[in-house]
Amino acid sequence: MSAELLGLAERALAAASAASSSDQVQATVTRERSLASRFARSAPTQATGIDDTTVHVLVVHDGHAGTATTNALDDDALRAAGARARAAATAAAGDGGTGDHPGLAPPAPYAARDGYDAATAALDPAVAGAQLRAAFAVAADERLEAFGIWSSAVVETAIASSTGVRAADAVTDAFGKVVLRDAGGRSAYLSGTGVGVADVDLGALARRVVAKVPRGPLVDVPAGTLPVVLGEEAVATLLGYLGGMAFNGLAHVEERGALVDRLGTSVAAASVTLRDDPGAPATLPRAFDAEAVPKAPLTLLEAGVARHVVHDRRSAALAGTASTGHATVPGGSSWGAGPTNLVLDGGDAADEHALAAGIERGLYVHRLWYVNPVNPRETLLTGVTRDGTHLIEDGRITRPARDVRFTDTVLGLLSRVEALGASPRLVSEGEYYGRRFATGVLCPPLRASSFRITGGA
Amino acid sequence: MDLGLDALVALMDAAAGRCAYADVRHVVTEEEQLVVRGGAVESAEHDVSTGVGVRVLVDGAWGFAATSDVSSAGLAAALARALATAAALPAGLAGRARVAEPPARGAWTSPCAIDPFGLALEEKLALLVEAEAALRVDPRLVRTEAVFVATRSDQAFASTEGAAVTQRRTSCGAGLSATAVGAGEVQTRSYPSAHGGLVRQAGWEHVLALDLVGTAPRIGSEAVELLTAPPCPSGRTTLVLGGEQLALQVHESIGHALELDRMQLLEAAYAGTSWVSVADVGTLVYGSPELTVTADATVAGGLGTFGWDDEGAAARRSALIDRGRLVGTLSDRESAGAAGSTQTGACARADGFARQPVVRMTNVSIEPGGAGSLDDLLADTGDGLYLETNRSWSIDDRRLHFQFATEVAYEIRGGTLGRLYRNPSYHGVTPSFWASLDAVCGPQAWSLWGVTNCGKAEPGQFAAVSHGAAPARFRDVEVGVA
Repeated sequence: MSAELLGLAERALAAASAASSSDQVQATVTRERSLASRFARSAPTQATGIDDTTVHVLVVHDGHAGTATTNALDDDALRAAGARARAAATAAAGDGGTGDHPGLAPPAPYAARDGYDAATAALDPAVAGAQLRAAFAVAADERLEAFGIWSSAVVETAIASSTGVRAADAVTDAFGKVVLRDAGGRSAYLSGTGVGVADVDLGALARRVVAKVPRGPLVDVPAGTLPVVLGEEAVATLLGYLGGMAFNGLAHVEERGALVDRLGTSVAAASVTLRDDPGAPATLPRAFDAEAVPKAPLTLLEAGVARHVVHDRRSAALAGTASTGHATVPGGSSWGAGPTNLVLDGGDAADEHALAAGIERGLYVHRLWYVNPVNPRETLLTGVTRDGTHLIEDGRITRPARDVRFTDTVLGLLSRVEALGASPRLVSEGEYYGRRFATGVLCPPLRASSFRITGGA
Repeated sequence: MDLGLDALVALMDAAAGRCAYADVRHVVTEEEQLVVRGGAVESAEHDVSTGVGVRVLVDGAWGFAATSDVSSAGLAAALARALATAAALPAGLAGRARVAEPPARGAWTSPCAIDPFGLALEEKLALLVEAEAALRVDPRLVRTEAVFVATRSDQAFASTEGAAVTQRRTSCGAGLSATAVGAGEVQTRSYPSAHGGLVRQAGWEHVLALDLVGTAPRIGSEAVELLTAPPCPSGRTTLVLGGEQLALQVHESIGHALELDRMQLLEAAYAGTSWVSVADVGTLVYGSPELTVTADATVAGGLGTFGWDDEGAAARRSALIDRGRLVGTLSDRESAGAAGSTQTGACARADGFARQPVVRMTNVSIEPGGAGSLDDLLADTGDGLYLETNRSWSIDDRRLHFQFATEVAYEIRGGTLGRLYRNPSYHGVTPSFWASLDAVCGPQAWSLWGVTNCGKAEPGQFAAVSHGAAPARFRDVEVGVA
């Protein structure tokens, strides 16, 4: 499988290299096969199966990069893609002299990761049907309606370059989420993800969600600050945004990032250690980045101290350092690099209920929605809560609360962390825009001494 | 371009009798993206893709298979996979019979005076290089960028109902952004709009009309000026929103709220629902009498303009809100049928060949009013704030409670623009906000604005939509964060 794709990458490399031996060329082939089955009101709505292979050709000419893609795989199409990429790089060079692209990565050995499950790669629609039926049955028993998705995929990647890189990997992933909703529109939500279909059980998720559906009237929460317990879903969302605002090496070099002049200083509570670890148990493993630079664990926050930002080859060259293996596109993105395997180390609390025990009056937030940066350099975000917000009263998660808007800084929140759950869980948004690239954040729930609520939702 | 329409029609002949309905789209997409940053061409990318997406309806549930193999064998295999996918599922929702639509026939091409793909790459880059250079007016600017994007989509569509059409749509656009760092601040200024520039369904003539080179120095200067501008004051005040920000306000708090599939809970697990229900159509007061909103897939230059939507329904113009009252929704054939309507809103749109159509905005516009030009409106306003160019946006999953930030705010004092403020934001509740609308500028200030990254559905897909808007005034709006 991967050998076939590597062969295709080599064909594309040869087709693009034929015109000039002085340019550097990288051919990246990605094949996605996936199946996603959506459901609403305890019935299937849309099921989408995809089988597509994209060839991405990057040419570096005199320090200037040009790229082209095609999903036609015949020799003519590969030659045409190579020609377009070369024309783009040559036009980019213009009369302007040598560009600042540092060139392609040399070959480097990468650690094999166990990210492939054969049963998942089969993409059996019967599995999807059974998963949906299981969720519907739970909903029916509780007189609720089920909404969500079941999705699985296999994505193969192969890279061949004129510097001698030959890299290939195949990963699978499964993702499922269940929202159970009552006749009054109150809802609760859980998601699950992992390398294989065996990691996600919609029926089991649905059974856990039943207990979370709000019962009783919703309590209004006024604007202000409250102690908070954030569930794993909410924590993962915040950390995902922190990745772009604080750890993006290009933003850091351009002095736009949140850790400018703060590396080596304390930016979070001492209990907070955040890593990007592509081989962590229970993550969605990755062997190399989009420039074939091997991926390795990198400590981002260590006991609250900011240690590193992440780089692709281009931002690393600007920073005078080496790539950390975080390129998201071949040649580096104009937006910079980003972490893809965040891991927030756990603490001592058994679960969110144990975390709530330390709060007299506060809020339990399960899921965040429509989060957007307001001031990236301050890690200031705004968003709303959704699908299971509750009060915390006298140390217990109690009455359902009306959803609220928050506006707060992620680093500020992390500096106010009082306790963490003991068992990090892999959480993914499961959105899959464009070519599927499954990522997740491995994190526990946490308790923070305050969370800024700025309105209703 | 031969899109193999005959082969698609043959495939539909093969599908008939094996499902309640089937359709197929062959989509060939060409896209070019150019980024000039810091004096150099940072990115020059040219993408092409071709593929087929086959959709089948079996027992009320949709199965869909997408493939880049457009051979006869590839098409047949995709049909088989779509049928197998649907057959493996439980039965779909009852009561969602699709409204009738005459089978589409013919061809349609969007207007394009200067083909952006026919120009030399060097010519396009030269304009961007010159514009980006003109941005760099101050050493405190750490990131200056000129971007260009062009997209061409050729699509053939056929269905088991006898539809057979082809369409070609060309769009392009460009924009500038300048980011300054200093005095503990990071400030960005964009032109003509944030988030990737202004894109229209048009050719290179649209980019030339933007006057990027002429406008760039002002944009760079404003980014620097924002570093030391005072923070925007908080409190309740009169707000005038520029056209671009108003377009996004329409997008988030009207367009999405009126998507019928959201009202019918089909997006409850992801994009969300709506505070509006089907029963509200005809009775709900959505805003003030100054608020009239249309959905129009026929307007020239709109990103949501086409001959037929992606299930073959002819483009149309529909009223959504008439002088404040809700009169329509955005629908496709299935959601319209489920709502008891006899006609689709022709809003079924898909992102490329590898996604199924879902209910989407086309061009959802706030109609111009009688308040004249922006200067006329300001003169009539007296005191307040003028906000321009979106910086941040957030709204709840029912499209009710929102918070927006813009790049700049100007004091309105005595009917003219005064002091510049940084970090402005405002928030509100959708019906209350639109009820506070008391003036909309006239046709001379009305323009089509583009949103190219509207996300919805699973797997996620983007839609490009346009919103016509003119600057408008809102009374007693909460500015700042609580």
